[in-house]
Amino acid sequence: MNRSLKRKLSYGTNASLVTVFVVALVVLLFGVSERHRFRWDFSAEGSNRLQRDTLNKIRLIQLAGEPVRITGFTAQSGKQDSYYKNRALRDLLEEMDLASGSISCRFIDFDRERLTAEALGVTQYATVVVQRGEGRVDLRDRDLFRRRGRGENRTLEFLGEAAINQALSRLMSDQKRVIYSLVGHGEFKIDSTDPDGLAEVVALLEQEHYEVKELDLVRDRAEGSPPAVPDDASALLLARPRTMLSLPESDALVEYVSRGGAVMVLVDVGLPPPRLLARLGISVPDGTVMDKRMVYPYNDRPVLLYGRHSITRDLTDMDLVTVLSHVAPLKWADPAPDGIMYEGLLKTSRRGWIEMGGATENGLPVFDSRYDTRGPVTVALAIRALPGKGLVMANSPAARLVIMGDADWSTNAVINEGPGNKTFAVNTFRWLVGDEERLSVVGRPTSVRKLALTEEDTHMIRWVALGLGPVCVLMIGAAVWASRRGR
Amino acid sequence: MIEVKALCKRYGPLLAVKDLDFHVGKGSILGFIGPNGAGKTTTMRILTGYLPATSGDAWVAGFDVFESPMEVKRRVGYLPERPPLYPELSVGDYLYFVAEIRRVPARERYRRVGEVMELVGLSGWERRLLGSLSKGYRQRVGLAQALVHDPQVLILDEPTSGLDPGQTVGIRELLRDLGGDRTVILSTHILAEVEAACDHVVLINQGRIVASGSLEQVRHEATGGIVYGAELQGEDIIMAVAELEETTRVEPLPGDGAFQALKIWADSDPRPAIARLAANSGWQVRALEKITPSLEDAFLAIVGREPSAHRPGRSSR
Amino acid sequence: MTAVWAIFKKELRIYFVSPLAYVFLSVFLFLSGLFFYLGLTVNGEASLRVMLGNLAITMLFVLPMLTMRHFAEEQKAGTFELLMTSPVPLGSLILGKWAASIVLCLLMFLGTLIFPAVLAYYGDPDWGVMATSYLGLILCSFAFCAAGLFASSLTTDQVAAGLAGIIILLPFWLIGSATSFTTNETLRQILESAALLTHLRGFTRGVIDSADLAYFASFSFIFLFLTYRTLESRRWR
Repeated sequence: MNRSLKRKLSYGTNASLVTVFVVALVVLLFGVSERHRFRWDFSAEGSNRLQRDTLNKIRLIQLAGEPVRITGFTAQSGKQDSYYKNRALRDLLEEMDLASGSISCRFIDFDRERLTAEALGVTQYATVVVQRGEGRVDLRDRDLFRRRGRGENRTLEFLGEAAINQALSRLMSDQKRVIYSLVGHGEFKIDSTDPDGLAEVVALLEQEHYEVKELDLVRDRAEGSPPAVPDDASALLLARPRTMLSLPESDALVEYVSRGGAVMVLVDVGLPPPRLLARLGISVPDGTVMDKRMVYPYNDRPVLLYGRHSITRDLTDMDLVTVLSHVAPLKWADPAPDGIMYEGLLKTSRRGWIEMGGATENGLPVFDSRYDTRGPVTVALAIRALPGKGLVMANSPAARLVIMGDADWSTNAVINEGPGNKTFAVNTFRWLVGDEERLSVVGRPTSVRKLALTEEDTHMIRWVALGLGPVCVLMIGAAVWASRRGR
Repeated sequence: MIEVKALCKRYGPLLAVKDLDFHVGKGSILGFIGPNGAGKTTTMRILTGYLPATSGDAWVAGFDVFESPMEVKRRVGYLPERPPLYPELSVGDYLYFVAEIRRVPARERYRRVGEVMELVGLSGWERRLLGSLSKGYRQRVGLAQALVHDPQVLILDEPTSGLDPGQTVGIRELLRDLGGDRTVILSTHILAEVEAACDHVVLINQGRIVASGSLEQVRHEATGGIVYGAELQGEDIIMAVAELEETTRVEPLPGDGAFQALKIWADSDPRPAIARLAANSGWQVRALEKITPSLEDAFLAIVGREPSAHRPGRSSR
Repeated sequence: MTAVWAIFKKELRIYFVSPLAYVFLSVFLFLSGLFFYLGLTVNGEASLRVMLGNLAITMLFVLPMLTMRHFAEEQKAGTFELLMTSPVPLGSLILGKWAASIVLCLLMFLGTLIFPAVLAYYGDPDWGVMATSYLGLILCSFAFCAAGLFASSLTTDQVAAGLAGIIILLPFWLIGSATSFTTNETLRQILESAALLTHLRGFTRGVIDSADLAYFASFSFIFLFLTYRTLESRRWR
């Protein structure tokens, strides 16, 4: 009986069952191994290892419990560097995906999976959407990649890890960063979709995970106390107040700055600048900034040069133009008040000037040395007020301000005219709020080791690559065949 | 040396071998005879461990074929119906390879390969490619491969099929030379071969043994006793012969002209009695002989008794 | 072990005298040269990433052609009977044949080493990444050879065996892209873990992952095991 049982087990239906069982067992073991991975990186730069920061963040996410989903979309194929961009992004997402069960990443072909993209509301190539619960941060091409150098030395830097890192921080922090927009003095409205509304720029900021709220210092103050900027303000926007702020309001602003606040002030030609500016040594002279170069339909849209600042570095690198219209010039005190540091963001070339009146040509103003002031004219400034010196209290962080001689650039009507306008707005608030650490993080090069080949080299390689191997093999084969012939 | 008990092999609904029982002693040569598709190849494949039996037992060289197939395989040399050759290899390489897989110790391999090549008459052919050999030489290489590990048991499936008469004689002589203490099973449907080489015969038809034993026994069994023939001329010959004490049965055969041919079964030699009877009755005697039945007769007699001589089946492949 | 070694030597010997092997070898080298050249000129990068990725796919088509002979031809020519009536365990037979096909693959890869040499001459490639890429390719060939052997055990017709091999392997390549057609997360993950390229990507950028190793090990084991069972069942069916 023993023998017949043995025969039954090794042959026939039972044998098939045994086979199925063994295969299932191996598949199961493989499944277990997928969940308990060990990874060793042998690349020269260790470019597949996640940075310590990222790993810490991932640990935090694991502890917090709520999982994170990261969806990356491909760069537009055929565009310059798209191959490397896709590769860098995909590699990073893969590493992050494997790093923890709490983070699931997908890399999606934007062209092939339009539906997924639409479901996520993604309309651009090379976008990364980081989601955690209700929260969501979108990272764009400009957040992920940066070009350095020109020509031969041009490299593509990949900032993806730092960017995602930061997006994660933002999602992890409980309160949203609030930007207050001052109202009550004829400012642009943040929720208006009219040409002079700010709806577009606000939508952009909300995508960046900021919350934009109106603030009426007089109306919103607590009973019986002087007006004050709320504590939860990450930044304050003065979007072209038409009338003078009342004194208590101005005091509230100064008090806010003294706490290390962040303010963006947009002034315009012919309007009274807020009193805060005087405390910073900034004045707004009369006149309009003009430019002789007829790049734009109006010559009150000067061609602007970018200063060396983290806000404008992207714009320089990507060669994006920012369009300001009907701009007031800015002037700063020299020497600067104690603890105040100026950094130019935007200025005209030497061909720009401040138009005060005088000569015209074809009904358009031209430079008239009798009245006008020659450029370059600064039209946007970043200011850092250091703590413990004058304006800012000693135990506060440094206050940050951005002053611009134009307000129209941020309106729905103009924001899309200059390809750099949106980037400028986003970068400005990032800098104001202190999110610019990402901007200063040195991205890793996309680990591309390029070969500089001459035409001759290419020819040589072509023959070696395509010809040498096959010919050698065929010759060996022919020799073997010949030696066996006739045996 | 080889012991088979109640061996059955079933291919699906088809019973290829049924209740096979036989025994081959050490040093003897067994002829395995049967029509095509009788189950010869299947039985041999079971004995060599290539096929598992459905039920029943088999021992070869003292080992159970199902329990310890490796031990059996080490001791058996097997030549399948078609010599298993790799056309790309040379004779020497091939035999060396077979020596390796048949576990000939490394230092003896070259010697053994040389020996078997000489034995089967392939000396000097080492470098010939198997693909370029003629049928007869392929058969020789097949035989050499079965012998290379000096097996105690040789199982040869139709070793002479497809050979010309000269080659057949050669193989037959070779088999006789190999004899000695080797046990050989040889399947064939050419009966002369068995008569020339075998001590024992197993006759198989439709998967069943129909006769087995020594050549004499099988003949006897097949034809039912010793047969005598006579050609006589006279009156009432059949009746007179049948009435003799010695004869058991008489059968008239078509004679020519005046002579009547008879086929006579008898318990003891009836010839003196017939001679006497002929002398007394005045018959003329042209022939009076003892007929030794050929194996062919036996074969035909036995196969003829079966309902149908041929049936399709996988065992014939 | 002796048996494995004997089978291995025999298989290699047969490989090297059959003209087909040389044709496939040169086709393989030509294609890898083409991928290398294209990868180099289109991206101008000192890396084999493009080539190695494409080679895996090429192997998917070429390797079944190299392994199709094994069991199909043995069964057709009757030599399988010789092997099975010799004291060679079926496992040793399969291992010997598997090893021989792998060694042939290693020789093919040896031929592609001119490309790293070219890169080293003109630039400064990342040797760590190069080494892991080749490791991935080698593991891939382990798996493909196992699947090819399995295909070869299914039929006695060589060409059918070759096609069967391709048909067996093709899904593992295609399901990689099939993931974009499903919205079911679990299904997508299962497809992704089963897909071939998922487990090659790590190697092509310098990462050795235990799960990738496990993938190729299981892949090879399953197909070798199935080969074993098929060949065994051929005898009793």
